[in-house]
Amino acid sequence: MFFRSFGLLLLAAAAQASILTLKSPRFVVSDSIGTQLRAEPISLEHRTASPVKLGGRDTLKLTFQVVEKEDGKGVQPHQTFLRFYDEVTGEEGIQPIRVASNGKAKFDLNPSKPPLSLPPTPKTASGEVNPLQLTLLIGSPEHEPLSIRLFDLVLPPSQPAPVHPDEIKFHLQEELFHTFRPDQKVPNKFISLVFSGIALAPWVVLLGLWSQVAPAPTNLLSPFILPFILSLGAFETLLFTYWVKLKLFDVLLYGAGLGLVTIFTGRQALASISAQRKD
Amino acid sequence: MVPIGTSQYSTFLEGLKAGGYDLTFGPPKSEGPVVIKVDAPNFVHVPQARNLGKDITPQSIVQLLSRKTNVLVALPTKQSPLHPLAAEFSLVLPPPSTPLISYSPKRDTPSTLLPIKVEDHSSPALTKHIEPVWFSGIPASLGSNPLLVPILRAPSESFASETTVTSGSADAVADSVERGGEGLWAGSSLSLATGFQATNGARITFVGGAEIFSDELAQKETERHRQSGNAAFSREVAAWTFQENLVLRIDKVEHHLVNATEPNEQYTNNDQVVFSTYISKWNPTKGKWEPYSGLKDLQLEFTMLDPFIRTSLPPVRGAPGKYSTSFRAPDRHGVFKFVVDYKRKGWTSLESSTTVPVVPPRHDGYPRFLSAAWPYYTGAISTSVAFFLFSTIWLAGEVNERKRSKGSKAE
Repeated sequence: MFFRSFGLLLLAAAAQASILTLKSPRFVVSDSIGTQLRAEPISLEHRTASPVKLGGRDTLKLTFQVVEKEDGKGVQPHQTFLRFYDEVTGEEGIQPIRVASNGKAKFDLNPSKPPLSLPPTPKTASGEVNPLQLTLLIGSPEHEPLSIRLFDLVLPPSQPAPVHPDEIKFHLQEELFHTFRPDQKVPNKFISLVFSGIALAPWVVLLGLWSQVAPAPTNLLSPFILPFILSLGAFETLLFTYWVKLKLFDVLLYGAGLGLVTIFTGRQALASISAQRKD
Repeated sequence: MVPIGTSQYSTFLEGLKAGGYDLTFGPPKSEGPVVIKVDAPNFVHVPQARNLGKDITPQSIVQLLSRKTNVLVALPTKQSPLHPLAAEFSLVLPPPSTPLISYSPKRDTPSTLLPIKVEDHSSPALTKHIEPVWFSGIPASLGSNPLLVPILRAPSESFASETTVTSGSADAVADSVERGGEGLWAGSSLSLATGFQATNGARITFVGGAEIFSDELAQKETERHRQSGNAAFSREVAAWTFQENLVLRIDKVEHHLVNATEPNEQYTNNDQVVFSTYISKWNPTKGKWEPYSGLKDLQLEFTMLDPFIRTSLPPVRGAPGKYSTSFRAPDRHGVFKFVVDYKRKGWTSLESSTTVPVVPPRHDGYPRFLSAAWPYYTGAISTSVAFFLFSTIWLAGEVNERKRSKGSKAE
């Protein structure tokens, strides 16, 4: 029984020994001269509430020791990573941290000499920089994995991530509109009416004078004169129709036919008038 | 072609056969030109064989792609001729014998075999919900080429390294990012299954290891006593790669004036032009092309050297597969093109270009009967009318009047 319980104890110990934890995790933000701007221990239970702001020349120093929870023995895990994650853009960077064989680790971050794994932190539309979520990932084949969410880090603004030149074709592109020449301006219709009236003004004079002088149209309906008058009217109508809708060769065709007719009716009309005059 | 251990992949292969594919098996060292002779768009599955056949070289695979054959490649952990092929497609592979390792979540499988949760809509190539998959193999870091379609991303806690059993150590991992180190492949920016949609429509997918297709992992349970999603994942990857899913084509393109139905040979400035296109999507279950109205962001460009007009082509209600828009032809005359250029990650690219001349208005194409010209119209018409009236009165008038005046003069 003793051996059995001892065996159980060993088993329990082994199970316990496989859990890792951090001993005295701390971070210190110091500026270029060396004065400490912020120095706090990192709590494993709850996340550091306020984000850590890092200026261009400041340095962030992170120190901790990886130990087994049971007996506090230092462990050098296979995987000790610091994960930078930008929640808004989804950019992620993984930075391995060198851990000594006794489990002690320290990591320096200086934005003026950034590690290659640091994700870009461009200025967003609002002018601010998105904070990076820091997580410590510890993995070892003999222990349970450990993932500790550390503080949020606000870095100085950087260039945005480089984009492939074809990338824009893979998204909706902005719409383009053509600027048309503005419609031609036409003057006021009233002005046109006034001047049309002025153009028609001579009719008053003409009709007035004609009423005095013109002979009565007695021969209007005579069979010699009327056809010619109708031909003249037809020509006028043809010209008006040409203006409205016909094309040149159509009008020439009609005009040729009408002209032939007009020759005969004209001769007839003028012959009758000259015959009348001889009387 | 699958050589050794075909029985290990029977679930995947049966699934392919059920999908209507014909499978040809060739031993790895075959000399025959199995690969090059394909003319029809077949598929080729190139597995992780130790010694690949003489005809499986990067050049032959690229040639297959240029002939529109789709390829699915499973990369071995050791160095192979397929590694430079992957590099051509902007996939940066880790050094040989550094498989993907993850110590989390806590499980009783070795660190090289890890379960990965697949988010819905995490990749356009995965159209269904997929349960967590078991993965074993190598990761790849992706370049910024937009033709790449990542299908399965690695979990954040994973990284590529030699296992501690072989020669991996914490120092080696930390050394890898020092100057002169080869870099660290770690985190969720790594892709374990990556597709590449070539510009001619052919698709090639690189998967980090062939075990993801195996029966053993397909039946293995993930943590919640549910079967893994490996079988579904393999099926989805095969479906995307072999042109079953997300395949589009343009059936027809037409353009005409707003009130006409026949296309014009040429358009005039400021014409209202209507452009329509008919797009179909391949339906794998029915095995035929069906009109597809689901593209929400199709755009039309009216281009002469540079796009003059870019508008959206919305789908037309009531006409499945038809997308149409109307716009005003620009003031500039010249030879324009209607360009539809639709590229989205995971989908086949649609390209269509129709050339059409746009001419300035003819001499009688300008607006007529303007209100500004009314004085001129009245002037001209009244001249005609006056002439007609005068000739009527002269011809119709009494001759005696003239005779009388002549007679009076003679006296």
